[in-house]
Amino acid sequence: MKNFIGKICLAFTAALLLSGAAFAQCDSEQYSQKSLKALTPGFTFVKSYKIDGKNGVRKNIEYTCVFSKDTNYMIRIQGKDGGANGIVATLYDQQRNELTTSFVSNKFYPGWTYKCKSTGIYYLLFTFKESESYCGAAVLGFRR
Amino acid sequence: MKKLNLVFALLLLFGCSAQVANTDESRETTEVPTVVETSPVQLSDDIVAGIMQSIPSPIETSLLIKETGAAYSVSNLNDPTIVTTYNDSYRQALNLGVYSTDLGFANLYDKNQDVLNFLNSVKTLADKLNIGQFFDYKTIKELASSSGNVEKLLQLTQQNFERINSHLNDQKRENLSILILTGGWTEALYLTTLVHQKTKNKKLKEKIGEQKVALDQILLVLDFYKNKPNFPSLIADLKELQKVYNRVEIKTISTGKPVTKEVNGELVVEDATVSQINISDADVDLITSLTKSIRSKIIK
Repeated sequence: MKNFIGKICLAFTAALLLSGAAFAQCDSEQYSQKSLKALTPGFTFVKSYKIDGKNGVRKNIEYTCVFSKDTNYMIRIQGKDGGANGIVATLYDQQRNELTTSFVSNKFYPGWTYKCKSTGIYYLLFTFKESESYCGAAVLGFRR
Repeated sequence: MKKLNLVFALLLLFGCSAQVANTDESRETTEVPTVVETSPVQLSDDIVAGIMQSIPSPIETSLLIKETGAAYSVSNLNDPTIVTTYNDSYRQALNLGVYSTDLGFANLYDKNQDVLNFLNSVKTLADKLNIGQFFDYKTIKELASSSGNVEKLLQLTQQNFERINSHLNDQKRENLSILILTGGWTEALYLTTLVHQKTKNKKLKEKIGEQKVALDQILLVLDFYKNKPNFPSLIADLKELQKVYNRVEIKTISTGKPVTKEVNGELVVEDATVSQINISDADVDLITSLTKSIRSKIIK
C-alpha cells in the first residue's frame, strides 16, 4: 500500500514538473541584459523588447518604432536557444515594405544596423524560426 | 468623419493587414496630417502600451543638443529643490518625466553633482508614486559619484524607467506612464527649442519638426484617458501645439529598395529613402513659445 501511494506521489510530482516545463515562463530580462552587452560600443541603448512567444502560442511579436533621419539604429537579439538562434528580427516601413531581416542565407544574424535617412514610423517584427524555447529579448541602440 | 480620421490614423500606425507591393520605382510620399479627434473608438490596453513603447526616448534629442556644441546650463533645467511642491499623482508623474530628461541631460554632460540632485528628485517622486523600488538609486548614485560612467548611467536609468513602465502597465496604471512620457518629451522639446533659439542650428530645427510624429502618438494615448482628472487641460494644450505641427510636412522620397551588406560579419542596411522636413521659421517660433507655456504649467 505504501509502495502504491509512493508511486502515485511520484507520478503526481512528475506531472507537475512536466506541466511546469511546458508552461515555463520566459525570463526576458536576462536575455535583454545579454543583448545589451552585445551592443557595439558607441551605440546608446534606448529600448529593450521582450520576445515571449508563450511557448509557441504567439508566432509574431510586433513593436512600433519612431526612427529619426540621419541616425543609425542597431538591433541586438539574444534568446534561450543560444545567441540569436530561433529568433528573426524584420524591419518594415510605414507602408509595410520589408527593409531588412536578421535571417539571411539560412543564417541567424545577431541583429542588424539600419542607417535611417527618413523620419517616421517603422515596424519591428520578431518571429520564431525552428525555435525550441520561443523566448528571448532584443535591445535597440542608436548612434548618429 | 471624425471616426474615419481616427481609424485612418490607427491604420497608419498599426498597418493592419494592408500590404503594399515592393517596387523599384521611385516614389514620393508626404505624411498625411494625423487628426486626433474625440471619438467613441476605444483602444485596447495592449494597443495603448504599444503606442507608448513607440514614443522615442528623450535621450536621442538630448544627445543631438550636446552634439551641436551647446553649452550646458543647469538654469535651463527644472529646479530639483521644488520636487516637494508636487503633491498629487498627476503632477508627480509629469514631473518625474521632466526630471528624468534632466537627469539624462546632466548625465550626458557628465555633471555629477547635478546628476545626484536630479536623481534625488526622481527618487522622491518615484517613491511618492510607489514605484521607487524599480529605481536602482544606490547603483546610479555610485556611478554618478565618479566621472566616466556616462554610458553605464544612461543604460541603467533607461532600464529603470522601462521597469517602471512595465510595472505601471501590469498594474493598469498606464495613465501615469503616459504622463511620465509626456513630461519627459515636453522637457526634451523645450530644451531643443531653447538651444535652437540661440544657435539657429539646422539639425535642431529639423528635430523640432520631426517631433510631429511623437506628438501624434502621445495625443493618441492621452485621448484614451481624457476622462481622468487634469487630462483635458493637458490634452487641450497639446492639441494647440498639434495645430501648428499639422503645418509641418515630412516628405519622403524613395529611390528603390534598401541595400543590405555584410560588414565584418554584421548586417548593415542603407536606407534608400530620404526625408525632408519642411517647417517655417514662424512655426518654429510658435512651437517654441507654446512649448515654453506648456512646460511652465507642468513644472509650476
